Amino acid sequence: MEETLPLAGLLAPWAASAALAWALRGPGRLAAWLTAAAGATSLAAAAWLWAIALRGGAATAGPGALFRVDGLSALIAGCIAAVAGLAMLPWPGLEKGPADQGRSRVFRIFGSLFTLSMLVAVTINNVALMWVAIEATTIASAILIPLHRSRASVEASWKYILIGSVGIALAFAGTVLAYFDFVSRLGRREDALNWTLLMQVAPTLHPDVLRLAFVFLLVGYGTKAGLAPMHTWLPDAHSEAPAPLSAMMSGVLLAVAQYAIIRWKAVVDAAGGPAFTNRVLMALGLLSIAIGAFSLVRQQNYKRLLAYSSVEHSGLICLGLTFGPAGMFASLLHLLNHALAKSMSFLLAGRILARYHSSDVERVSGLVRTMPATGGLFGAGVLALMGLPPFGLFVSEFLLFRAGFTSGHPVAAAAALLLVGVGFVGLASHLARMLHGPVPDGIPAGEPHWWVLAPLAASVLALVALGLFLPGGVAGLIGRIAEAIAT
Amino acid sequence: MQGVFSQVAVMGSSGVLLCGLILLWRRGVAAYITAFTWQSVVLAALTAAVGYFGDDPQLYAVAALLLVIKAVAIPRLLRRVAQRFTVGREPAPYVNTGTSLVVSGLLVLLAHAAARPLEAIAEVPTRAGMPMAMGLLFISLFIIVSRKMAITQVIGFLMLENAIALLAVLATYGVPLIVELGVFLDALMGFLVMQIFLYDIHETFSTADVDVLKRLRH
Repeated sequence: MEETLPLAGLLAPWAASAALAWALRGPGRLAAWLTAAAGATSLAAAAWLWAIALRGGAATAGPGALFRVDGLSALIAGCIAAVAGLAMLPWPGLEKGPADQGRSRVFRIFGSLFTLSMLVAVTINNVALMWVAIEATTIASAILIPLHRSRASVEASWKYILIGSVGIALAFAGTVLAYFDFVSRLGRREDALNWTLLMQVAPTLHPDVLRLAFVFLLVGYGTKAGLAPMHTWLPDAHSEAPAPLSAMMSGVLLAVAQYAIIRWKAVVDAAGGPAFTNRVLMALGLLSIAIGAFSLVRQQNYKRLLAYSSVEHSGLICLGLTFGPAGMFASLLHLLNHALAKSMSFLLAGRILARYHSSDVERVSGLVRTMPATGGLFGAGVLALMGLPPFGLFVSEFLLFRAGFTSGHPVAAAAALLLVGVGFVGLASHLARMLHGPVPDGIPAGEPHWWVLAPLAASVLALVALGLFLPGGVAGLIGRIAEAIAT
Repeated sequence: MQGVFSQVAVMGSSGVLLCGLILLWRRGVAAYITAFTWQSVVLAALTAAVGYFGDDPQLYAVAALLLVIKAVAIPRLLRRVAQRFTVGREPAPYVNTGTSLVVSGLLVLLAHAAARPLEAIAEVPTRAGMPMAMGLLFISLFIIVSRKMAITQVIGFLMLENAIALLAVLATYGVPLIVELGVFLDALMGFLVMQIFLYDIHETFSTADVDVLKRLRH
C-alpha cells in the first residue's frame, strides 16, 4: 500500500522550513516559530510511521517504492525528528547572541537541510541514494560548525569536512563493489541497489567480494559514526559546533551512520554468515570504547567530554550488534537512549558555556548555586550517560552485556564492562567538580523562564520512563527489528 | 572488437593512474592542478569509450558531466584559490619524494592483491583496469595524509573521487544514472564548501599550511 501522507509529513516540513528561513529576512521570530511548527509536524508523522511499523507493516512511497519505512527506519526517523525538533526550537539565551539574526537565519536554513538529509538517508530504500543523503549531511553540518568564527572552529570544520568526505568516499567505493557483485551475477538493473532487493538476492552473491565491500563500507560509515580509529574529527567538531548542532550531530548523526552499517551488515551476513562482520565490528567497537573511556578521564573540557562519551557509546552500539538478536535489541535501545541523553546534555552545556564563558571544567564550579535547574538537568543527563539507574541507558547497557555473556562472547563483554567502568569514574569526578565547589567571581546566579527548560525536563522524564518500565511501543518495535534483521 | 576494448580500458586507466602519480614527484600547486585536469580529461574520454564499446549511451552524458565539472569548472576554481594565496612550491611533505614513490609502488602492488577476487568474478572486458583504479584510490589516500597544504589535500580528495568513478565505470559500466547525478551534486557542493574553508583558513591563520592546525590535537 502507498503511504505517501506520513512520509510527506515527515520530510516536507523540513524542506519548507529551509525554504522559508531562506525567504524570510528581517526579524527572525516568525521563521523561528515556523521552524518549530515544522519540527512538531515531522515528529507527529514519525509517530504515525512508528505505529505502522509496530503493526508489522512497511510504509512505501514514491516511484518504484523509492522510499520505504520499516521498523528500523521508523525508529531512527523518530529519534531524528525528536532531537531536531528540540534543537531547532527558538532557544532564547541558549546560544551566544541569538540577537544576531544573520546567524540564526543561516542556522535555520542549513539546520533544516541537515535534518532533511538525515531523514532522507534513513527512509530511502536505495543504498546508493542513502549514501548521497549521508554525504549531504556532512556538507550541511560542516557549514554550520564555524558559525561563531574562531581559529578553533575553522580548524574543527576543516578536519571534519576533509576526514568526513574522505571516509564517506570510501563508503561509496564499497557501495560500487557491492553493485559490481550484483551486476556480475544478475546483470544491470536500475533497482539493483534497493536494499530490499539486495536482501533477497544476497544468498546468491559472492561472499568474498561483499566482505571486501564491507571493509570499505565500515571504514566509511564508521568514520561518520565516530568509531575509532577514524574518530579524530569528532571531539573537535562536536565541541566547537554551536550547541544545537552538537546536539544533532552527537545525538542522531552518529545513529544515521550506525543505521547504514546495520543495513549493510544484514546484506553481507545474508550472503556469507555473520562471522566476518562480527569480528571486525567487535574490534572497532572495543577500540572505540577504550579510547572514549580513557579520554573521559583525561579531558578537561566538558564539551569534549560529551564528545568522547559519544565515541564510547558509539563503540558500545557497534559491539552490541555482534551479540546476536538480543544484542541487536540492546544496541537499538541504547541508540535511542543515547540520542535523548546526549542531545539534551549538549543543549545544557551550551547554556552553561553562555553563562561561564569557558568550556574548561576547572573554571566551571558551583553550578547547583548559579543555575540550579540547568545544573540539575545537566547532572541528570551526565548520570544517565554514565549508565546509572533509573535512566534508560542503564537498562540498555545491562541488556547489552547480558547478551554478550549469553551469546558466547564473555571476554569481549567483560572487557567492555571494565572500560565502561573507567569512563564512569572519569565522568563522575568531572561532574562532581562542576556541580559543587565555590562559585567563581563575576558569575551571576539565576534561571530563565521555566518553559525554556521544560522540553529538556521532558527528555529526562522520557529517559526515566525508558529506564523504569520499557514502554510497550518501544520494546515492540525494537523487538520486531531485531527479529527481522539480526542473524 | 573485445580485444580493442580491453586495451583501451587498460590504457585509459593507466593514464588516469599516471596523472595521480605526478603529485608525488612534482612540487607545486600549479602542476598538481594541471595533473588533476588531465586526469579528469582522460577519465571522461575513457567513460565515453566504455559507453561506445559497451553500447550504453547514458555514459556519454556522464562523460560530458565529468568534463564540464571536473576538467573545466573545478580546476578553474582551484586556480583562482591558488593565485589568491600566491602559493608556489609546497613546503616539504611529511614523506620525501623518493620514499613516496617507493610507497606508491607498494600501494599499487597491494591494489593488485586486493583486486584479485574482483577480477576473478568479472566478465567485462574492462576488468584488467580494475587494479589501476584501486591503486589510484590507495595513492590518493596516501597523498591526503602525507601532505601539509590544505589545497593539496583537496586535490588528493578530488583524485580519490576520480578513482572511485574509474572503478565504477570499469567494473559496472557506471552506477545507475540517478545515483550518478546525486554523486555529481554532492561532489560539486562538497568542493564548493571546501573552497570556502580554504579561504577561511587562509584568512584566519594567514597561511594554507595545515601544520598550524594543531590547537585541537589531543
